Amino acid sequence: MNHIQADILVIGGGATGLGIAWDAALRGLRVVLVEKHDLATGTTGRFHGLLHSGGRYAVKDPQSAVECIAENRILRRTHSHCIEDTGGFFVVTPEDEGEYPDAFRAACAKAGIPCDEIPVAEALRREPRLNPRISRVFEVPDGGADSFLAAHATAQAATQAGARILVYHEVLRLLVEAGGSGTRVTGARVRDVARGEELEVHAALTVNAAGAWAGRVAATAGLEVNVIPGKGIMLATSQRIVHTVINRCRMPGDGDIIVPAHTVAVVGTTDRHVSDPDELTIEPWEVSLLMAEGAKLVPSLDRARIVRAWAGVRPLYQQRQCDATRDATRAFALLDHASCDDLPGLLTIIGGKWTTFRLMAEKVVDRACEQLGVTKPCRTAETPVPGAEQGRYWLGHRLHEVEEQALQGQLVCECELVTRAMLEHAALANPTHSLDDLRRDLRLGMGPCQGAFCTYRAVGMLHEMAMRASAAPGDGGAWDVATMSSPAQTPRPAAGAAPAAMRQGANPLLRGFLEERWRGLWPILWGAQLRQERLNQVLYQCLMNADHLPDDGQGGAGCSI
Amino acid sequence: MFDLTVIGAGLAGMLAACNAAKAGLKVKVIAQGLGALHWSAGTVDVLGYDPATGTPVSHPLQAIEALSAAQPAHPYALAGTQALAAALDEFQALAAEAGLPYAGAATAGENLWLPSPLGAARPALLAPKAQLAGALAGAPLLIVGLQGMRDFFPELIAENLRRAGHQARAASLPLELVTTRRDSNNVHLALALDDPARHAALGDALAALLQPGERIGLPAIVGLKEHAAALAELRARLGVPVFEVPTLPPSVPGLRLNAALRGHLQRLGVRLELNAEVTGLHAAGGRLTAVETATSSTRPRRHEAHSFLLATGGLLGRGIDSDHAGRVWETALNLPLAALPERTAWFRPGFLDPAGHPLFRSGVAVDRHFQPVDEAGAPVYANLWAAGGILAHADPVQERSLEGIAIATGIAAAREIVATRRPDEEVTS
Amino acid sequence: MTAAQRNEPGTEPVGQASSPAGAPVPAAHASLYELLDQCLKCNICASYCPVAAATDAFPGPKYAGPQAQRFREPGARRTPDHSVDYCSACRVCNEACPSGVKIAELNARAKAKIVQERGIPLRNWLLGRNEVLGRVGSLAPHLANLGMHNPVSRLLAEKVMGIAREAPIPRWSTRGTFGAWLKRTKGRRLKSDKKVVYFHGCSTMYYEPAVGQAAVAVFEHNGYEVIVPPQNCCGLPMLNNGEFPAAAKLYRSNIAKLLPYAEAGLPIVGTSISCVLTLREEAAELLGIDEEASRTVQRATWDMCEWLRDLHERGELRTDLCELAMLLPYHASCQTRAHRMGKPALDVLALVPGLDVRESDARCCGLAGTYGYKVEKYPIAMKVGQEAFEFIEDLGDEVEFVAADSEICRWQLEHGTHKAARHPAEVLAAAYGLYDLRKRQLVTKPGG
Repeated sequence: MNHIQADILVIGGGATGLGIAWDAALRGLRVVLVEKHDLATGTTGRFHGLLHSGGRYAVKDPQSAVECIAENRILRRTHSHCIEDTGGFFVVTPEDEGEYPDAFRAACAKAGIPCDEIPVAEALRREPRLNPRISRVFEVPDGGADSFLAAHATAQAATQAGARILVYHEVLRLLVEAGGSGTRVTGARVRDVARGEELEVHAALTVNAAGAWAGRVAATAGLEVNVIPGKGIMLATSQRIVHTVINRCRMPGDGDIIVPAHTVAVVGTTDRHVSDPDELTIEPWEVSLLMAEGAKLVPSLDRARIVRAWAGVRPLYQQRQCDATRDATRAFALLDHASCDDLPGLLTIIGGKWTTFRLMAEKVVDRACEQLGVTKPCRTAETPVPGAEQGRYWLGHRLHEVEEQALQGQLVCECELVTRAMLEHAALANPTHSLDDLRRDLRLGMGPCQGAFCTYRAVGMLHEMAMRASAAPGDGGAWDVATMSSPAQTPRPAAGAAPAAMRQGANPLLRGFLEERWRGLWPILWGAQLRQERLNQVLYQCLMNADHLPDDGQGGAGCSI
Repeated sequence: MFDLTVIGAGLAGMLAACNAAKAGLKVKVIAQGLGALHWSAGTVDVLGYDPATGTPVSHPLQAIEALSAAQPAHPYALAGTQALAAALDEFQALAAEAGLPYAGAATAGENLWLPSPLGAARPALLAPKAQLAGALAGAPLLIVGLQGMRDFFPELIAENLRRAGHQARAASLPLELVTTRRDSNNVHLALALDDPARHAALGDALAALLQPGERIGLPAIVGLKEHAAALAELRARLGVPVFEVPTLPPSVPGLRLNAALRGHLQRLGVRLELNAEVTGLHAAGGRLTAVETATSSTRPRRHEAHSFLLATGGLLGRGIDSDHAGRVWETALNLPLAALPERTAWFRPGFLDPAGHPLFRSGVAVDRHFQPVDEAGAPVYANLWAAGGILAHADPVQERSLEGIAIATGIAAAREIVATRRPDEEVTS
Repeated sequence: MTAAQRNEPGTEPVGQASSPAGAPVPAAHASLYELLDQCLKCNICASYCPVAAATDAFPGPKYAGPQAQRFREPGARRTPDHSVDYCSACRVCNEACPSGVKIAELNARAKAKIVQERGIPLRNWLLGRNEVLGRVGSLAPHLANLGMHNPVSRLLAEKVMGIAREAPIPRWSTRGTFGAWLKRTKGRRLKSDKKVVYFHGCSTMYYEPAVGQAAVAVFEHNGYEVIVPPQNCCGLPMLNNGEFPAAAKLYRSNIAKLLPYAEAGLPIVGTSISCVLTLREEAAELLGIDEEASRTVQRATWDMCEWLRDLHERGELRTDLCELAMLLPYHASCQTRAHRMGKPALDVLALVPGLDVRESDARCCGLAGTYGYKVEKYPIAMKVGQEAFEFIEDLGDEVEFVAADSEICRWQLEHGTHKAARHPAEVLAAAYGLYDLRKRQLVTKPGG
C-alpha cells in the first residue's frame, strides 16, 4: 500500500480546508489535502455566493461583523477575479418596520461597516424590480463570491506552494497509534475512489475540516464531535432579477436574501436540522416559502423563471462542556482534541462563513504551527492567488471576450459561454471525473437550458479527446485555473492523456449528467423551465434515444488505449 | 368568413389545414410561432416502445391494436388503426407531392431502426428518403463528420453502433470543405451544400475515404433547398448508399418537412398568420364565434370562423402552461384538462425513467370525434376540435409517437370538420 | 358605430382565455425582460434569421438577444458586445419563435445601449435625421438629386461617411413635396362629416408624394374629408440606430400634435407602415413610455390597408373597382409582420377584379430601414434580399409592378429587380379610376 508523509494532513476540500492548505504551504509546511469528491461540493459549493459586508451580523454578532468587513476587503485583493462588486442593499419592507433599521445602522457604524442610507427612489431606479413599497434602503459593500473559482484558485496557489491536493480521495478512518507519550492521531487511511485503491497519509498533525461531515471523520477515532447538519435550500432565477445583493433589514431569517451570482440570482435560504448531510431533499413547502419570501423583496419573482433548486448543509456545532473557547467565536469552533479528548495530533474546525475562510484558516494554522514548533507568520492576506491579476469579475466579461475574439462558433455551452478550448483545457488540466466536475469548473450546463445542448456536445468532445489521446486517462493535472473562466485566454490543449472523465465511458457520462441536472430541476419545474425540460426530453429521448444505448462495460470504454 | 381556423402551425395543425383545404374549405392557420418539427429527427415516429412495459415495438400498427384495447382513451384508440393507416398514407402523398418522399422499412409495417446522434438505434415507422439507407441491419457503416462541427460526433456514433453489434467506423473531413464561415449552425451548413460545387467537392472527399462494401452516413445537412439534387448527386458520385443522421436542433430534416407543408398551404390558398397568440375568445350559444390575437395596437385582431381546431402542442408547444403555485391550464381557450396528477406526483426521480413522468399524460380530453369534452363528456363547444400534442392520455415522448399522434389526430379531426361543413358531399381521401 | 367607438377595442371577450384567477398574463402583455425567460434555446429563430444565413458577422438572434441579454448589466462600465449591431430588426425571429420572446426588441435595446456608451457614428446620426435631409433636399430637388446621385458623390459618401455607394437612396421629388401639393390643391378637398387624419411620413412628403395623393384620392372617393395636421418624423431611423433620447423627443412631439384628433375620435391613418408601427407600438415600447396621451394616440392609429379592410368588413368601402388585369407580386415588410394584423393589403387587393396577387414568401427585402445603407451592411442586405428578388423574377417578364407597404421595400425591390414598386393604396386608387399607376399621378377626370 502507498504511504504519503506530510507535516499536516487536511481533511476536506471546501474553502476552509483549502485555505488551511494554502496558508500552511506558504509557511513552508508539507501539506496533503484529501477530499472525497470534487472541490467545493460541500457547503462551500452550495451557499448563495455572498461576500459579506458584515451587515447581516452587525446587530446579532458584532464580532463576526467586524471580521467580515475586514476579510471582505482582503479577499477583494487576494481573490479579485472571484469577487464581484455588486454592492448590497438592506431594505425595510412593510413587514420590517420597527427599531431594527436604526439599530442596524448604528451597529454597522460601530463595526466599521460602511453603511449609507439612500433614497428609496434611487434604489428603485438602480433596481427597478425591487418592491416599490419598501420604506428605507441602506447601502453596504456586500459583494458576490464565486466559491468554485476561489476554491480552484486557492488549490492552485497551495499546489504552487508545494501542497498536494488529492480529490476523489475519501477518508476511511483516522489512524490512531499508541506511542511513547500516549495515543495520538497519526494520519488517515484513504481510498482513491477513481482507482479503487487504498493508501495511508501519515502526518504530524491532522486537521479535520470536513464541515458537515466532521463528526463522521472524528467518529472514526472514537471521538464525539456533535455536528448538526442545518439544511438550507436555495433557488436560482434564470436571469439576474437584481444586480445588487438585496437583504431584508431585520434579524436574519428564512428567505431574506437575493444574491446576484454570475448570470442568475440566488434566492435563499431556509434552515432545518437534518440527520444525514448526504440525504438532502428539497421539500415543496421550502420552495413555496422562498418564492413567497423572495417576492417581498422582488414582487415579480412569482413570474420569474426558476432554473434550479439545491440544498446545502451548514455544519452547526453543538458545544460540549469542556471545549476550549479560546479560539471559538460564535461563528466557528476550533477543537484541539489534545486538551478536550486527550488525543493529540488532531484539530477539528467547524462552522464559519465563506467570507471568513481565510481568517479561520489563519487561526487554525497558527495553532498548528504552535504545536509543530514552527514560527512562520501568515502571509495569505498579502498573497494574491492565481488569476487575481485579471481583476474584478464583471457580468459581461465572458460575452466581451467571445465578442472580441469572435469565438461564437466555438461555444459548447451557449447559455454560459463556455468554449471548446475551455472544456478541453479543464478536462485535462483539472482533476475532473464527471461532467458535474466540469460544470463546477466552467459553469457548463448552469444556464436556462440546463444542459440541453452542452451535455451532448461535451460528451462528444471528451470522447474525441479520448480517441486522440496518446495515454490512458490520468488523474488530471494540478489545476491551471487562472484562465479557467476566460474564453479568450484559454489555450487549446494539445493531445495528451485521455480526460479522466472518460474513465466511466461516454454513455454513463452523458446519462449521469442528465440525471444530476434533473435532481435540481424537478422540485422547481413549472412554466418555461417545465417546457425546457420537455424539450430536453424530446432531444435526449425521441432524438438521441439516450435511454436505449448499448450497455457499457466497466471502465476503459470509450478510450482508444 | 373562414370555414376553419386552425390554432397552431405544427405538424397536426398544418396537416389538418391541408386536408380541409383540399376538401374545399376556406382555411386559416394562426400560431404563436413554429412547431416541434424543428427539433425532431425528421422521421415519422408512430410507436417505438410500449408505454406500459417499455418493450421495443416492431410492428406499430399491430401494437396499437393492443394499446387501444388497454387504453381506450388514448388518441390512437379514438382514431382507430384504419384511420391511422389512412392518415399516414395521406401524409406520404403530401410529402411526395412536395418532392420530399417518405417511406418505411422493406417489410411493410415494421419499424425502421435508424442511428441516432449518439449511435443508439431509434425506432421510426417512416423516414425521409435521405435517412432510409441508414436502417441499421445491413452493410457496414462509415460515419463521416466535419472537424469542428459541434453537433455531430462520428466516433461516438460509430462506437455505440459497434457495441450494438454493427460494423461501423468513423472518419472526419475538414469543415472548410463545406464552408469557410467561422460560425455556422446546421441550417447554414445545409445552405452551403445547396451549392453544386460544394457537394461535388464533398463527394470527391468521401470517395477517398470509402472502403468496399460500405455505406456512408453524414450529418443531416445535405442541402436545404436543393436537398434532393444534392443527395442524388452524392449517391451517383459515390455509387453507394448515402444517408443522413439527424443532429441537435436546428433540425434540417424537420425544416425541410416544415417547408414542404408550408408550400402546400400556400398552394392551397391557406392563410398563415404567425406571431398570433390567442389572447381571448368570443362564444355564443355553445359555439365559438371568434378568437382574438394581439396586434401592435390596443385593438385585438378577431378571427372568426365556422369551426376551430386547437392544435397547440401541449406543454411542448405552450398550448399548456403552468405556474409556481402548481396551476396548469390550457392557454388558448381555457379548456378543462384531464389526467392531471396531484402536484407531488407530477414527476419521477429519474429523468430517463422508462415509465415517463405522469404530468405529461395530461391534456385536453376529446371524444371519438376529436371534440374537447368537459367532465360530463359533452363537447365544450359545438364547433371546436383538438388534435396533436394537446391531447390527454398519451405521452408521445415516452412511447415515441410524437409524429404519429400528430398525423393521425390532425387528419382525423380535419375529416370530422369537413364532414360538418359539407355533410352532403362525399369526402374523398 | 361612432368614430369614437371605432377606436375602442371590440366587444369584451367572453372569458379571458388564458388567465384562470391570478395566472400569468399571455406573453403578448408581459414585459420584454420577463419574456426573455421564455426562451428555450430551441434554435428556431436562428434557423430562419436571414442575416445570420448571409453572414457570420451576426451570430444569430438567439445569441444576440435572449442569450447575450443575461450578460448585460444596466450601468455596467462597458457594454460587452457589438455583434448585435448586425441585427437588421427584420423580426423574422419574433414570428418564428414558439415561446413569444421579443428577440428583435431585445436587440434594439442592446443596440441603444451601445450607442449610449460609445456614442453614435456621424453616419448613423445623419441617417437618423431623415426629415432634415428630406427637407433640405426638397428646397432644390433637381440640384439635390444631381448632387447626390452621381458616381463621384456616392463614392465620396461611401469613403467618408460609410454610406454604400450602390444603396438605393431615394430621389427627392421633382414635382414638389406632398405638402406643396396639398397647399396647391387646397380648394379641391372634399368636405364631409366623416373625417380622417392622414399621417404621411417623411418618405411621402419628400420622395413619394404620389403615394399621398393616391391615399387622399382613396379617402375622398369613400366620402372622407382628409385632415393633414402638422406632424413630424416618427423617429424610427433614430430608434433603429439606438438614438433613444432624440427619438423620444420626436415621438412626444407627434403625440402632442395628434392628441386632439385622437381625443375627438378621429382615426389617424398612415401609408407608411413603418411610421404607423412606430407610433402605435414600437416607440413607446422601446422608450419605455407608458402615458395616457401616448395610449390615446396609439388607439386611434391605423395602417392604410388595415383601415380599408376594416371599412370593408363593415360594408362601408366603395367597391366600384375597375378591372386591373395583371400579375402583381406583393411583399410584406418587416413591419407588416410586426403589426400582427395579418396582411390587410392582400385582403384589400383581393377586391380588385382581374388582379392576380402573389404573396412573396421571402423573409426580408434586405434593406431593413437604414441598415442596408451602411457600407459594411450593404452586401449583406443584397444577399438577404436575393430571396425576394428571385421570387419576383421567377414570376416572369409580364410582371410590371410589385406592391409593398413600406417605402424601404419599394426602393429595395426596385433596386434589385428593376420593376416599378407601388404602395397598395396606389393600386386601389388606380382601380377606382383615379390614378395612373405607370405615371404615378392622379388622373384628372373630365369635369374636375
